Order: sequence, then C-alpha cells, then structure tokens
Amino acid sequence: MRQYQVATAAAFMFVAAVAMIDSRAGAMVDTTGTQPGGIGAGFYPFWSAFVVFACAAVVAYKSWNGPEGAPAYEGREGIYAVLKLVIPMILAVVAIRWLGFYIVSGLYMGLFARWIGRYSWLWVLLLTVGMPAAIYSAFELGFRVSLPKSFLYDLGVLPF
Amino acid sequence: MLFVGVLLGLIVGVLPGLGGTSAVAILLPITVIIARTSPTSAVILLAGVYWGALFGGVVTSILFNIPGEPWSVVLLFDGFPLAKRKNKPGVALASSFFASFVGAFLATVLFTFFARALADFALSFGPPELFAVFVMSFATLIGLGAESPVKAVMMISFGLLLAAIGFDTITGQPRLTFGQIGILSGIGFVPVTIGLFGIGEILASAEESGIGFVERLSAKVGFADLLETLRELRKRIWLVVSTGIIGFWFGILPGHGATAGSFLGYGLARQWSKNKAEFGKGEISGIMAPQAAADAAAVGSLVPMIALGVPGSPTSAVIMAGLFIWGLTPGPLLFTEHHDFVWGLIASIYLGHLLTFVICLLAVPLLASIMRIPYAILTPFIVLISVIGAYSLNNSMLDVFITIVFGLVGYWLRKMKYPLAPLVVAIVLGDSTEKTLRQSLIASGGNPMILVQWPIATILMILAVVLLAIPLIRTVRSRGRAASVEAETVGTAID
Repeated sequence: MRQYQVATAAAFMFVAAVAMIDSRAGAMVDTTGTQPGGIGAGFYPFWSAFVVFACAAVVAYKSWNGPEGAPAYEGREGIYAVLKLVIPMILAVVAIRWLGFYIVSGLYMGLFARWIGRYSWLWVLLLTVGMPAAIYSAFELGFRVSLPKSFLYDLGVLPF
Repeated sequence: MLFVGVLLGLIVGVLPGLGGTSAVAILLPITVIIARTSPTSAVILLAGVYWGALFGGVVTSILFNIPGEPWSVVLLFDGFPLAKRKNKPGVALASSFFASFVGAFLATVLFTFFARALADFALSFGPPELFAVFVMSFATLIGLGAESPVKAVMMISFGLLLAAIGFDTITGQPRLTFGQIGILSGIGFVPVTIGLFGIGEILASAEESGIGFVERLSAKVGFADLLETLRELRKRIWLVVSTGIIGFWFGILPGHGATAGSFLGYGLARQWSKNKAEFGKGEISGIMAPQAAADAAAVGSLVPMIALGVPGSPTSAVIMAGLFIWGLTPGPLLFTEHHDFVWGLIASIYLGHLLTFVICLLAVPLLASIMRIPYAILTPFIVLISVIGAYSLNNSMLDVFITIVFGLVGYWLRKMKYPLAPLVVAIVLGDSTEKTLRQSLIASGGNPMILVQWPIATILMILAVVLLAIPLIRTVRSRGRAASVEAETVGTAID
C-alpha cells in the first residue's frame, strides 16, 4: 500500500506544480493598481495549488516513513472485477460518438444481462430493445431532451 | 393544477439531468396561456413543479449515489450508505422526505409572517458576509476528514483548484484551460460528482464484493420503515427544526445559499452529534439535518424574489421571469396590489409540500424496491443514467468523459483513504467563495480587513474559526491520548 500512497501523493504534487506554473503570473498581491482588488486571476488557483502541493508532500513523506500497511489488492480478483466494469464502460462511451446513445445503451444493457446475469436470450432481447425505447420516450418525446444520435440517424435510416 | 405540477416535478426530479429549474423553464410558455385567466393558477403550477422536483431529486442521490441538484449532493454522504451498506433504503428515503416536509413547513410559516422584514435584512449581507458564510461551511466540514486532516485540507484545496478552471469571472482571463475551448466555461460540479460518487461507488463495490454479487437486501421494505423513521425523527426533532431555520435564512441569501445551507446543516449535525464516527456511514442525522436545511432554503429563496424582486436561486429566477411575462412586478407592491396572488403562492407552498410528501411516502416501498433489481441490470442502468445526467447538462460529450475520468479518480482516492466529501463541497462552493472574496477586496481597495470589519462578518468569521478549531483540537487530543496509552502499554511490557 505504501508505494501506492506515495505515487498518489506524487501525482497530486505533479498536478499542483503544473497549476502553479500556469497561474504564477497573478500569484502575488499586486499593489500597482493594475489588478482589481489587488489580486489577479492567477492568485486563487496558484495558492490553492500551493496548498495541494504542500499537503501532498506531507502525505508522501508520512507514507514513505510509515508502516507498509495492508496490500492494495488481495489477489487478482479485485482488479479483474474492476476491469470488467471499466473496459466495457470506456468502450461504450467512446462508441457513443458513432453509434449514438440509444444503440450503445441497448448493446450495453444486453451485454451485461447475458454476460453477468446469464439471462435467456429472450430477456436479453427485451432489455436491449426495451431500455433504449423507454429512455427515448421519456427524454426525446416527453421532455424534448436530445441525446447523441448514431450515424444511421444522419443517413435518415433510424430516428436515433 | 397543483397536483399536475407536483407529479411533473417528481418525475423530472427523479430523471437524471433534469432539475426543477429546467422543468419550470420548459413549462413557462404553457403558463402564459393559463395566466390569461388566472396568474395564481400559473404560479401554483410552477411552484408545484419546484416542490415536486425538490423531493424527486433526492431519490437518485439516495438510491444510486447520483446527485440531481447541488443541495442534494450532501445526501450522498450518508443517504446512499444507509440505503445500501446498512440495507435500509426505505428508512433512508423516508428520513429525507420527513425532514424535507418539516423543514419546508417551518420555512413556509416563517415566510408567511416575516417575508418582508427578513428580505430587507438579507439585503444587508454583502460579499464579506457571504464570504464568511462560505468559510463557515468549509470549517464545519474539515472534520469530515478526521482520520487525516492533511488529506481533508488537500481535498478542499484540490476542489477549489478544480472550481477555478475556466474563465475568471472578474477579469475574464482563461485559467488552467491549456488552450482547450471545451473547458473555458469551467468544469461543472455535476459530472465530477456523478463520477466521484456514482461511478466510483460502482467500481469500489465490484472490487469489494465481486462483479455480479447479489445484494442482500432486507425482505421487509415497507411501511414499517416509515414508523421507524418517525421514531428517529422524534429523537432528532430539534436538530431538524434548527437546521431548517438555518436553511431558511441561508435560502434568503443570494447565490448559493441553499447549497451552503445544506452543507452547513450537515456539518452542524455532525458537530452536535454524539455518534460522530457514524457520519459518512449511514447516520440518519446526516440525512435529516441537511435535507431540512435544503428544503427550507428552497422556500427561503422565494422570499427575496417575491418581497424585493431579487431571486435567491436559479429556479426562483425563472419563476420571477414568469411573473414579468404574466404582467406582474415582483416587489413590495405585489403584497398590496396582488395580495390574492401572493396568498395563492403561499397556500401552494403549504399544500404542494403536503401533497408531495404524501405521494412520496406512499411511493417509498416501490422506490426502495429499486435496490432489489439484479446487479446485471442495475449496474449498467446506473452507468447509463450517469451518462445522461452528465451529457444533458451542456449537451457535451466532454462532460461524459469528465464523469468517467472522475469515476476512476474517485475509486482510487477512496481506495487510498482520501475523503471525497470535502472535495465535492469545495467544487460546488469554490466559485462563489472566490467571487465573494474578490468582490470584498475590490470594494475595500485590496484591504483584507474588510472581511472582519463589519459586525455580522466578524461574528461569522469567529464562528468559522471556532468550528475549524474544534475538530483539529479533538484530533490532536485523541492522538495524544492514543500515544500515551501506547507508551503505557510499552512500559508495562518492558516491566
């Protein structure tokens, strides 16, 4: 666990350092009268980032010198379980650009129903069609909220 | 009219990405037709939607860990843990509905008798006072990271940093955008919060219990939960009443009053509680106190709108637009020239809340049974509504990507024992905090003494310092005690 704690704190230090460099121009109190109220646009993000950096340094130091603690993962099952959720989720979100929200949501529901739930194909089909249909009725027809459409919508083949 | 409004509001509140503000805005053109015969009916319809959405918005927070409105963010801290980890979705929902009703009823009584006087007093709150209010909200929440105050401070600062991304509201300069046009308007708290809590929780659960695990929900999800909640409410009635009064007052204040009120309600409930360790794990006070404050604040936000023509929240701003469209001018004259309209609105607040409360209570067993939906359906469904919630905010896929990224970040930070609540509070209130600080400094020509120059601001700042000091002293003392116990143990072992 210790090395993960140190790595996480180091990642925060990196982000904070980048933010401090980006907003360094307005970091100091300006007494020349060029900035309204004496502080510019960079003051607030710079000092927020500074505190993040300082706290992350303290966390990294304490973790480095502290006890090893419990391992981050007990066996590989935990990592696999997370990856089984993360990978389809990322693929689905990326696919929305081409397939639109409704086709992706049907496929995503169907995949989980079959793969994780081991439902019969009839149930899988019902969920694949039913869920997008319900969301379409509520959002597009009911409240006129437009969700991303597929390339088939652009070609005039499907209404979504 | 009220029933239609309440029902529409409830549906809109439960659906992700749609809140009371958008629902009221969608219905505004319809109310023009209604207002031709009776403006009172038009405002009753809009008010019904507003109250319905307030109640409906908590459902997704408690059942799916996905917030609907800024002030329902705080329900993620204890509402979802009580519903899921403690296996009491019925109690979690009913606690929120009961507290909403008590808070709103109390606020409506205050509205009825003191609207003008309170609105006038609220106008004396300038940027220094509002800044002190925000500092106080942060101070009460430092204790949320009691296990590691350094990590809590770090999360607050990180939240403030994220809130600073985009155009600077004072000078118009882009900050931390690195040339990306998509984030010029900043990173919204909705996609970040949905990611941190909604997606992050799904990933954490999968790791803890394995994918496809079967929820062991209690078989008795029903009206017994309502009785249990009523007993719990009786124990906490003074907490609910006092946070309701605080919430009402915060609602009258312009800007983020309601959100600050809900966070402060939560922080105070924690400070006053004997079971501090239970907060964040499904403590009922952690649901009732902020919910009473948030609903009272929603009622309070109508006070300056009606009495002075200054809207206290985005939704009340849209309702005020409706008033202008219907040919009414909000302000002191409204009370004398259109008293039937004002009393119609006040009556709608009483009846609207009662109606929403009854509908919601009847729906508790049905809503709670959502948690019994099998994992293989519920999990992808939560991911899909998270995507809808993030996308429909600005019709932007960038917000969806932000949700996914923060989902992974939230999962990892939870694993590394970083407190997420202070981070979310800072993201939600960061922008307003910075704005009020800088407005104060501009008004004083850069002199920071303005923050403690006026009596109200000074009192609030002192309160903030006291609230900040209490958990820090408590942490230091408990550590000192633990160290002395350890030393004694070592000493005995050596002897």
